[in-house]
Amino acid sequence: MYDEIVAVTENRPLTGGHFLLSLDSPRQAQATRPGQFAMVRVLGRSDVLLRRPMSIYDVKARDSGSRRGHASKPPRIMQFLYKVVGRGTRLMAELKPGDRVGLLAPLGHGFYEEEYMPHAQAADEVLHVAGGIGIAALLLPAKQLAKAGIRQKLFFGGRTKADLVGLDEFKPVVSQIKLATENGSRGHRGYVTQPLQDYLKHHPNKKFLVLACGPWAMLYATVELARKYGHPCLVSMENRMGCGLGVCLGCCIRVDGQGHEAYQRVCTEGPVFWAEKIVWEEETIAKT
Amino acid sequence: MAERTKKRAKSKGAARAVGQTPVSVAGSAANKQRTGFVPQIETEIAGVRCQNPVWTASGTFGYGKEFAHLVDLNQLGAIVVKGISPEPMEGNPSPRIYETESGMLNAIGLQNVGAKRFLTEKLPFLRTLRARCIVNVFAYSTEDYVRCIEILNEGEGIAAYELNISCPNTRCGGMVYGSDAKLTEEVVAAAKKAARFPLIVKLSPNVTDITVFARAAEAAGADALSLVNTFVGMAIDVETQTPRLSNVTGGLSGPAIKPVAVRMVYQAARAVKIPIVGIGGIATAEDALEFLIAGARAVQVGTANFYAPETSLRIVEGIREYCRRKQVHLSDLVGSLKIPQASAS
Repeated sequence: MYDEIVAVTENRPLTGGHFLLSLDSPRQAQATRPGQFAMVRVLGRSDVLLRRPMSIYDVKARDSGSRRGHASKPPRIMQFLYKVVGRGTRLMAELKPGDRVGLLAPLGHGFYEEEYMPHAQAADEVLHVAGGIGIAALLLPAKQLAKAGIRQKLFFGGRTKADLVGLDEFKPVVSQIKLATENGSRGHRGYVTQPLQDYLKHHPNKKFLVLACGPWAMLYATVELARKYGHPCLVSMENRMGCGLGVCLGCCIRVDGQGHEAYQRVCTEGPVFWAEKIVWEEETIAKT
Repeated sequence: MAERTKKRAKSKGAARAVGQTPVSVAGSAANKQRTGFVPQIETEIAGVRCQNPVWTASGTFGYGKEFAHLVDLNQLGAIVVKGISPEPMEGNPSPRIYETESGMLNAIGLQNVGAKRFLTEKLPFLRTLRARCIVNVFAYSTEDYVRCIEILNEGEGIAAYELNISCPNTRCGGMVYGSDAKLTEEVVAAAKKAARFPLIVKLSPNVTDITVFARAAEAAGADALSLVNTFVGMAIDVETQTPRLSNVTGGLSGPAIKPVAVRMVYQAARAVKIPIVGIGGIATAEDALEFLIAGARAVQVGTANFYAPETSLRIVEGIREYCRRKQVHLSDLVGSLKIPQASAS
């Protein structure tokens, strides 16, 4: 983890209040592992204090340009896919190329090859399940799995088609993408867990590894499906964060432990957890 | 003590002047500027000598090691570790924090590893630092405060205890110690009796008159006071019509509370003789200086550590620079607030 002040190279508006933010930070980009996140701070303000946690969507050698000839160069651009949902993201939306932001990265325990690869190799397919902006956490692990020659599918759901952002980068790495929107404007009408359930039901003899990221209620439903059909499942959790580096204990979630191990930090022991580790507290799921 | 300090500072200044490149300063100030004036910013609280007056606040800096690669810990005056209870505590359910305007609410629930594990797992690293190690202690009954201190007394390298009295006394109807003068006296006296190391009492600001509690703690034997702890606050999610925190209420910290904290430090400093450590929304050297001028001998940086870990060190430099510019030592600054005759007190 490094704490740097870095330059914005692009802050591209997408559909539905989403943006793709590109920051120039070679040292942090090169240290990034799939599933890790960053804490982003818009500088010079004391009314909006805390950094905002953002999944590291991608790292690139060059800023959204041609990929030709840059595959061998070390990454220096870090990309973040985010949606404007509150004060912090509203400030981020105003960033322009050349602006400087505070970036604490890379953070957290991500989707680590050494942990998931045995399951991925034993599986027929890896299934990515994304809800809304949760898509941002899954690209880097998908790319890593593709490099290892693992077959993958993506299930991606949002409220409307405007929420289905960040898809293009997945097309070269997964074999199929199944979409869902709550209002039916694209793909299946309803929640993303419906096409997921259909797929699991129709392939009872296949082995899958499930990787999921999205709102807690969606994660809970996904975890229950994976458990029901007997597939290992890794989830990338989110929570409001204070520091992002493990000291404030603000982002803790309930896990299967006792005493002071009853809670673990989404920013440090997470954000990626094996599904069975997490104890889902009903009240909190209902709220989010 | 003051004389010795001044003499030492002078000789330091002289030693630095020899061979030092003269500072060129424009204007008449140059005449006043003694080349190589080195401000003395060491401080001493309850017998704990610190290389500078900037400490990190309990609950905002973990057990120190977490910041080791981001901050040069050896430059800090002291680290006050996360509150320790006799037994480990799991903390509150999520959500535990919520950002507010220029601040944040927290209801972490005092999750910590417990006194025994603190001694074996966290203290060894802290012992290696130049920053002094101060252990924040809390419990829910007077007996448990004493029990916690007795366990921690075994620790080598602890410079002082900071007693967190903003906890409810669960044995006696849940009245918060720090909101009841009698309970404050009871727990401070018991803690002082048991404590091997100097005792700093951290006052709760959720009181009508902070001077009552400052005096109660002093009378019961506190070696120093630190104030303020967080203010009880809450926030509501209007869409779900539910509290933002699982605990319903939480502690408010950050820049929003600074003016109230400064006022309380000012009042407390006039009410007691024991030294005061100022806490509350400090994010810049200027903020820290307000507390020092109001009467604090040291300050703690809290919430700022979450979003700008380098804050403490920047404040050390800022204080040093201010003292250099004003040609004063820290000891000249403490309680140096000047109130014109006509102003109300």
